[in-house]
Formats: sequence, C-alpha cells, structure tokens
Amino acid sequence: MESEIVNLVIDGKAVSVPAGSTILAAAEKAGIEIPNLCFMKELKPYGACGVCVVEVEKCPKLLRACATRVSEGMVVNTQGERALRARRLALELLMGDHDGDCQGPCKLNCPAHTDCQKYVKEIAEGRFADAVSTVMETFPIPASIGRVCPHPCEKACRRRLVEAPISIAQLKYFAADRVRADGNAHKVNVAASTGKKVGIIGGGPAGLTAAFKLAQWGHDVTVYDQMPEMGGMLRYGIPAYRLPKDVLKAEVDAIAALGVTFVNNFKIGRDAEFSKLRGWFDAVIVANGAWKSSGMRVKGEDMDGVWGGIDFLRAVAVGERPDIGERVAVVGGGNTAMDACRTAVRVGAKEVYVVYRRTRAEMPAEDIEIAEAEEEGVKFKFLFAPDEILGTNGKVTGMRLQVMKLGEPDERGRRRPVPVPGKFEEIALDSVIAAIGQRNDPEGFDDLPKTEKGTIAADEGNFATSLNGVFACGDTVNKGAGIAIGAIAQANEAALAVDAFLRGGEYRPVKPIVSERDVTERDFADRPKIARAAMPQRPAAERIRDFDEVNLGLSAEAAMAEAKRCLECGCHDYQDCKLVRYANLLKTDTKRLRGAFHTGFVETELVSIERNQRKCITCNQCVRVCEGIAKKGILGLVGRGFATVVKPEFRDSVAIAGCADCHLCVDNCPTGALRLLAKKA
Amino acid sequence: MRIVVGEGSCGLAAGAGKVHSALSGLGVDVGVTGCIGMCYLEPIVDMYDGERLAARLVRVKESDAGRIRDAAKSGDLSGVEDLRISAEDEEFLTKQTRIALRHCGIIDPESIDAYRAADGYKAIAKILGVDGGAGMTPEAVIEEIKTSGLAGRGGAGFPTWFKWNAARNAKGDEKYLICNADEGDPGAFMDRAVIESDPHSLIEGMLIAAYAIGASQAFVYVRAEYPLAIVRLEKAIKDATAANLLGDNILGSGFSCRLRIKAGAGAFVCGEETALIESLEGSRGMPRLKPPFPAEKGYTDKPSNINNVETFANVAWIVLNGGSAFSAMGTEGSKGTKVFALTGKIRRGGLVEVPMGLTLRDVIFGIGGGVRDGRRFKAVQMGGPSGGCIPESLLETPIDYKALGATGAIMGSGGMVVMDDRTCMVNMARFFLDFTAKESCGKCVHCRIGTKRLHETLVRITEGKGREGDVELLEELCRGIKDGALCGLGQTAPNPVLTTIRYFRDEYDAHIREKRCPAHECAALRRYSIDAAKCKGCTACARKCPVGAISGTLKSPHSIDTAKCLKCGACAAACKFGAVEVL
Repeated sequence: MESEIVNLVIDGKAVSVPAGSTILAAAEKAGIEIPNLCFMKELKPYGACGVCVVEVEKCPKLLRACATRVSEGMVVNTQGERALRARRLALELLMGDHDGDCQGPCKLNCPAHTDCQKYVKEIAEGRFADAVSTVMETFPIPASIGRVCPHPCEKACRRRLVEAPISIAQLKYFAADRVRADGNAHKVNVAASTGKKVGIIGGGPAGLTAAFKLAQWGHDVTVYDQMPEMGGMLRYGIPAYRLPKDVLKAEVDAIAALGVTFVNNFKIGRDAEFSKLRGWFDAVIVANGAWKSSGMRVKGEDMDGVWGGIDFLRAVAVGERPDIGERVAVVGGGNTAMDACRTAVRVGAKEVYVVYRRTRAEMPAEDIEIAEAEEEGVKFKFLFAPDEILGTNGKVTGMRLQVMKLGEPDERGRRRPVPVPGKFEEIALDSVIAAIGQRNDPEGFDDLPKTEKGTIAADEGNFATSLNGVFACGDTVNKGAGIAIGAIAQANEAALAVDAFLRGGEYRPVKPIVSERDVTERDFADRPKIARAAMPQRPAAERIRDFDEVNLGLSAEAAMAEAKRCLECGCHDYQDCKLVRYANLLKTDTKRLRGAFHTGFVETELVSIERNQRKCITCNQCVRVCEGIAKKGILGLVGRGFATVVKPEFRDSVAIAGCADCHLCVDNCPTGALRLLAKKA
Repeated sequence: MRIVVGEGSCGLAAGAGKVHSALSGLGVDVGVTGCIGMCYLEPIVDMYDGERLAARLVRVKESDAGRIRDAAKSGDLSGVEDLRISAEDEEFLTKQTRIALRHCGIIDPESIDAYRAADGYKAIAKILGVDGGAGMTPEAVIEEIKTSGLAGRGGAGFPTWFKWNAARNAKGDEKYLICNADEGDPGAFMDRAVIESDPHSLIEGMLIAAYAIGASQAFVYVRAEYPLAIVRLEKAIKDATAANLLGDNILGSGFSCRLRIKAGAGAFVCGEETALIESLEGSRGMPRLKPPFPAEKGYTDKPSNINNVETFANVAWIVLNGGSAFSAMGTEGSKGTKVFALTGKIRRGGLVEVPMGLTLRDVIFGIGGGVRDGRRFKAVQMGGPSGGCIPESLLETPIDYKALGATGAIMGSGGMVVMDDRTCMVNMARFFLDFTAKESCGKCVHCRIGTKRLHETLVRITEGKGREGDVELLEELCRGIKDGALCGLGQTAPNPVLTTIRYFRDEYDAHIREKRCPAHECAALRRYSIDAAKCKGCTACARKCPVGAISGTLKSPHSIDTAKCLKCGACAAACKFGAVEVL
C-alpha cells in the first residue's frame, strides 16, 4: 500500500513527505538543517534539548521538530525570532554548564592558533612527519619558528601547574629537523592555477607565510625583498647561533619549490615605484617589516660608535665584523638586546654590559636568553638609564647613566622606572648599541594611509588597506613590531582575504566560540611530576668563539618522552562536537548564563569508556542507545533537577560488568563527554 | 449522644488520636470521621443526637474527655459550652457549598455502609441499570459531564468530557483509567482530604469514568507521603470489591473494573500526567513529549485517561443530580465549585469549597477571616509553584479559570497561600524556584538549567548581591523557559517570578539598588538597631549576642555595632521592651 503523502511548507519551501514524518525529517528532505542534540533516528523522539524548536503557523506554542508529525498544509518557520531565541537560550544554558575545554590553552594562546596539542601528540606517537604537516597547516617554517619563537603557547600550557610547561617550541623544531634529515619533506598540494598574480613586498615570516598559502591555493606569487636573501628579520635580525642560516634557507627553498618567485635586492622607491608594482599584480601584500632602530633620545647618540641594535645584528649577519672595540654597552631589555650583547661577545668585545632601566624581573627578554647571556659573560646593569653618551672628537668614550628606582605600576602592571634625582654613574666604553625598539620605514608607500605611529593602517580583521587590492600585515602595520608568530597570524588572515578578493568576495574573520576552562594547581594535584626535557647545549666557553648553534637539539627519545607529558587539555571531539557547532552557528554567549556547574572530573568506571561530567550535557543519548539499541540498559539517570547525572543504572557499578564495549554511547555522544580509551588488558 | 472525632491527617496531627483514645475507654459511642476542613480548630469532636449535629467542640484536649462523656451521657451540654464552636467560626462552613467535599467530616470514611447511606454508589447503579437504576450509555454519561461543564481540577482546567470522549474514541481494545493523587503543591491538601475522608466517592467517580471511556483497569497514583489516605483507600477498595462494586461483572451488569493503588515515590513532577505514566510503568518519572496525548498513547502505549481526585469526587454527584445542577453554579467559563486549601498568614485556615465566581476577597476575608495577627494582607499565591501571586488590588478577581489566568496566576489545584506585609515577595519567589529547581526531573534543558539559574539569581538578590539588570535577566529567562520547557512543570515554573516582578517590582528594585528588604525578611539585608528611647539598659541583649556586637552600660541605652552583627536576631528575641528594631 502506498503511504499517504503530506504537503507542507518549510521556510517558504514546499516539501512533500509521507504521512507520519516529523518536521525534522521533512526539513532534512528539503535540505534545511534544524539543530538538534538529542535526536536519533533509531530511537523514539525524546525532546530534551529544546534546540530543534520551530514555529508553526497558527500554533501558539513552539514545537519540537524532532517529535512533531507533519500535517497537510502545515507552514513551518525554522528561523523565526521566537524559535531562534529559545534555541539560543537552550544553547546558552547548556554552555553555561558545559566545561568543554574545546581547545587547548596552547592553541588558544598562539597568535596563529597553531594546533600545538595535535602536533605534540603526533610527536609523542613518533609520527614526526604528521607533526610537521600539522604545523604547516598554519605556517611553512617550523624549524625556524621553533627556534626563535618566544612561545606564548608554553606560557599558557597547563603542565606548568604540574611542574613545567611542555617544551612545545623545541618539539616543533625537533620534528622539522628530523623530517628534513630523513629527507621526508612535507608534501604540499598545490591547487590548479587560478591565473591570478599576487605580489608580496617583504620576505620575512609574514611574507613567506602569505606566499606559501597563496601559492598552495593556485595563485602566482612573487615575493620582493630588499635584502640579498629571503627570511627578513629571521635571517638578518636573529643571530645564527640561535637560527642557523642553512635551516632557514632550506625552509625558504621549500617555499620556492611550490612555484613562488623570489626577487631579492629589490627596494620599493628605488627599483620600482609602489604604484607601478601594483599594476603588475591582481593583489599586493605589503609585509616589509620594521627595519629602523629607534633612537635613545639622549645627547651624543649621533656619535661614531653608537649602533642601532638591529643595524648591528644585520651587519654581522651579512658577514661584516663591525669594529665595536672591547667595551660595549647594550641598552635595552628585550630579546634584541640579548641578541646584540651575545653577538657583541662573539665579535670580540671583552666587556659587554646590558643597561636596563628596570630590574631583571621586568625584562621582556626570555629568561633563557638572559641566563645564556650571563653564562657567556655579559654583565647586567639594572636600574640604569642612559643619560648622555660621552665622547671625544665625535667618538664614543663612555656613557653617563642615570640611576633609577621602581615606582608605581604602569597600565600593563609593570612597575615604572623613575630617576633618582642627582644620582649618576659613568662607564668607559668603546661603543653603545641601542636595542630599545624598531620602527617600520614608510618610505615609498606614500599612497597608503598611516596610523599615528607611522605604521601602515590596515584592517585588524582582514588586513585590507584603503587601497583596493592592497593588503598589509606584520611589523609594518598598526601596532608595529611584534613577534614573528604574530606576523604569521596576520599573514594567514591577509592570505585568506587576498584569496577571497581574487575570487571576487570579501573575507571577514569570525572568532570561533569555544568553551574555556579555568584551572588551578589543585586540578592536577594527582599528576606525577615529570621533569621537562633539558635541551643539550654547547658549553658557554666554546660557543662564544663562533656563531654555530648553541642548542644541540633533542633526541627522538627525549622529544617523545617530552611530548608524552602533554595533558591533552583540548577536547578530543572538538571537530565533531554538535554543541560547539551550534553555539557558533547561533552566535551564543558561552559565559552569560554561568552559575553552578558540574565538576567531578573524569570517571573511567565504564569498561573502556571515559566519561567526563564536566562536558556532559545530560542529553541522555548514551542512556537511550544503551537501552534501546545495545539492549543493555547499563546506564541511567540519577538525581533530580540540576543534579541529574548519568550513572550506571541505580548507581550500581556492578551493572558495568555487562558492558559489551560496543561504544554506541561514545559514537552518539553529541559532545566530547564520552571517549574511548585504549582497551584495558 | 454519639461522639465523632475528626480524624484526617491534620486532626490526628493536632491530637485527635489521643482524644479518641481518651474517649473510647469511657463507655460512650465514639465514631470517626474524616477531615472537617477547619484545620485551625483541630482536634474537632462532633456530638450527634441521632442524625442531628448537636454540638461541635473545637480545640479539644485529651483532658476534656471526661466532661465530653458526661455531656454525651446526660445530654446536658453546659459542661462543654466553652469548647463549642463560635458562631463566627461556624460561618467558615456555612458560607461554603460542598460537592466534592460533601461527605467529608460527616461520614465514617472507613465504612462503605456509611457511604451507601449517604446515597453512595447510587450513581453507578443508575448508570449500570442495576438496583432500580435506569441505565445510561457511556455516551450519555459523557454528555451529562459535558452538560455539567466539569473541568480538570488538577490545575489545567481542561474539560473533563473532552478527555473522556477522546479516550473513548481512541482506537484500542485495552484502555486505562488513572487517578492522579500525586498532590504535590506545597500547602495543598484537597485531594488528601477527599481520600482520607470519602474514599468511596473517589472510587465511584472512577467507576463512572471507567464505564464512560471503556476501561476495565484503573489505577490511583497516590504519593507515598499520604499513608493514611493509602490505608483508607485500600480498605475502601477491599470493601467495594467485597460488595461487588469493583472487580468483574459489577453488580451483575457485565461491566468490570479493577482498581489498584500505586504509591508514588515523592517526585513532584510525577503529578505531570506523562511523567506519572512513566512512573506507573516502572520507569524514572520524566515527562514524555505530547502529542501523542495519553488518550491516544498512555499507560503501556494504550489509550488512557487521567483525572485528579477532586475531579472524580464531583462525578457521582453530577450523575445523581444532573449536569445542569452543577453548571447552574459558577461563571460562564467555570462551572461548579472548587476546593481551596487556605493556608499561610490567614486567620481561619483549612479547606474551603465554594462556587466558582466568588471573589478572592470572599474566600480570603469572607470565609478565611482575613490576615491573622492584625497584619496587612499583601498577596495570595494561587496554584503553588506553578501559579502566581495576586496582590491586594486584584482581590475582586472572581474564581474563574480565565480571570485568574489574566492576573498571571492560575486556578491551579487549589493551593491558596496568604501572605502578609512581613513576607518578602522576592524571597517568596526564591522559595518556589528552589522547590521547582530541585523538583525538575532533569530532562529538558530549559527547566533543568534554566530554573537553576533563576534560583541562583533570586538567591543573589535576596542576599544583597543583586546587580542592575538582574530583573531583566529573570524576565528573559522566564520567557525562554515558558517557551522551551517540555512539560507543565517547567512551563509554569517561572510564574511566581513573573507575577512578583509584575506586582512587586519595587521590592526587587529595593533589594538590588538599595540593598534593602522592605519586608525585613531577607536576613542578609536586615539591620538591627536599638531605640535609645525604649532601651532600659537591662543588658539582656548584650548577654545574648553571640559575637559581642552590643555595647552599653547597665541602665543606659545600648547600641549595636553593625559591622560585627551577624543578624541572627537573638537581641530582638531577648529584648523585653521592644527596643531592638529591624530596619
């Protein structure tokens, strides 16, 4: 017998379905998605989540699409204001009690959102090539960035609450080195040519990343750089003892191998006007960095023997041996200051001072850099600020230093240095290196609007400038110089924007909604402490004699052991989580309706299934499949109201013995509350 | 004279059992009846001269037994004159119109003969065409109920005939009848009183309904917290079965109906009909999606009809007296009478059955005598946690489903909690949300988490931590929960919040903005101070203060250090001069 057909309208679309179908099924047939978290075709409609509610004409109530049968002439609106409001409220209520920990703090804290947790896990499992591929989804130079990155990921790493963060950056470059040594280079798929041409000015981390992405997507990319080699500050700012030139070169070459054209020794304004260059391309990215040293603004700084920090480093990088004499002072407390002082040691200075106006605790440089500089004999003069460069006949002979003390904290919480009136000190010097900051050089880019700081003004989301088809990113835009991974993050967005532009669209980044979790040491009190991998290094006495790499790299065993320390914070189910998908789809506020929430961390009572109460949304799907499909009935709900939780039926853990390990419950969990563990022996 | 002791749960709680024992050894005829409905006067002893109520004695103590015996034996009531009910208190009953409660406090609930003597089981005989009855078809019965205008007394007020008709017309050879006796609203005890006082009228009402819909199996789902009701109902079922009023081929009519009691485990949500069915089936009591409605797929997926106790208690009366006699009472949209449990800050609390259409003022002031302790009336909470509060300005509202609904409250099952000017309305809303949040079954998101968030917000406000925007947040959550919750519990849970905001917004604002509780009920917002003019310097308060927050020397006014004060109220309790003020 032919079943009767019912005709209805959903969101203005006519649909015909067999009588007895639900609105949800009819919508699916019409290609209209109605979110739902507790529906399963094989089971009776349950109706708990309240996310599938829809409006039906002439019906005063919202109806659950999963359970409501269609009727002839029904007019359904899945996108009505009232339905969306109820849906969003359901999701907000759920998110307010869902400690999903969607993404690891490492990934969230990386400006480029590199999937650290994933590649660390791959390294733990000995899958080094996979790890490199994972990094290269975000940027093309893992061996270089792994060596130089101040790793914000590690600063957020929760392992620090156990003993010390995972050595994420070192793991990254271990994997990249290892894969290169094995000749196992990451294979990049390049899309068919789009016929579009993109010009990129600047071959630093930003320019290289944008070139890598755009080339993969089939665009014809040319990168211009004023220096003889690509790499930008990675090559001409970072000393070779931290990042060997051949490591960078190999990664640059791999980008060239994708078909990217590199043009060196090319400077805008000198070799071509910017307006002319624009005419050669369908789109242009300006990523020319920040290559001008900031001055100290003290008397005498124009004398012979006064260097800008990056100027000094660049001179050494191109092979010069600048005459800095025997007594050198580096002014500044950042990583450039550390690079400068350690480079000064290596070019032969006998006495090297770092003059910093605050104390060691406030130094922006990495601790390890400071420690290594000390090992190499650098002397630190804290709470001193340059007052005047002293000299005779235009040549530096010394510096007068103002004695400082720490005053009230500034807006960033760092205590502000204030001069101690009348207290000065003089030191005899042959040269002074001012490593106190760097600026972009706007010369040749007159057409582009600038910020108050003189940087190029670009949209913070898609890095478009006010010129059509011109994008700008990295140290040259907006806030100015930052860290390499920050420039890479911008380059990724700019590349997406350029790609969209070339395809006639516009790219607007959307910050994904995630459920984040606050943790303290107490949450990890039960974890055994395992020491962070120690990086083998050359002894200081040896390494100050040359520019060879200081760090010797981790062994595969050490790297894998280190990677295994990872707490795997981010949710294993993030990709498939329906809750977070809908939360994004409906733009819900995850924190608005927070209050009491479920804790009781992880329970592994179930045979090979781990259940995490923090992530459970009590949709009862696991209980229902266990009873209705697996025919086991091992799980049940206990408690009432907000305290309702899934437990073995009647709280009877003996019931668990009946588990057949079919893991239908895991497969049907809409969130990551259930996870399959490795089979127990 | 015959002596009858009122022994409903409330009477027993007040000491009726002891009075009964004291009397029974004295050689007088002592009988039992159920709840008379005047809780505030319990224990109550009635003295009958034949069938005539010669005297009603109230607030009787064990020690009064002797003189009651003397009076009963001699017929001279002068010895118990002081125990007799006052004329004013008698009005509590005389102003009522009792149909559902028609036998309550009059007949012996444990005697089927007593019920039969009061026209009991005549309605079912009339329908079945036995014992001289004419016989009625099921359709005719449903038509009679339709004429009566009887609507569900459990709260929703859905027309009873319509449900019966739907169950009758539903396809299926097996059908079930269920009585919802899971009376869960705080302060509501109408159904308990009916079962304890007149169990046979429930059985008879159910028999009529079973006949009308075509069911041969019926259940009474009664909460286990009603042990006396269960005992009396069990006895009634046994007696009715023995009299062939239950079981197979009832009175030779060919109609069969068995009745079974299911004791509920105390979940409020099991008063929701689909959750009740789940529980009856042995599952966790969680509501099902509707449709399908129970009339189509109920108990074990078979057509089922559910009504509450009070609804059934009206049925036999309607059959005997005619639907039009019932519909002659009430308003256009609400027919017959309704029983209310009048509680809270009321002078005369108890069970009140009145015709629909009386005003709230008639009930609260006319019958209940208004607010006790000379305080001012502030509001009445109708319908328990699912209902809403109604302020003084709306006391002329008639008892009518629609009119009460328009106030934001509901008729509900009959809970009427009276509040005086010392009741904080925010705290009242907090109390009800605490109840519903805990009693939510946990199934649907809006109710499970939504009511929890409502409660948390209300707690915050009553603790003086309210924030600007909290009222708007409450309103938003309330609207969302009403829209999204799966069952009646969740859909109505916001009502106490919405109505208190609607009528007492100023109290919310005072808590949030001024950190002040106008009713001085919220402990965290209370401030104690000593009125120097009244203080005699007796040091009683200072000695009682657990934290030494009160200072002062003998015979001179004391003062409270508010920074140290725990707001425990010990000083106010200790002061004999009323010098400790609560601000």
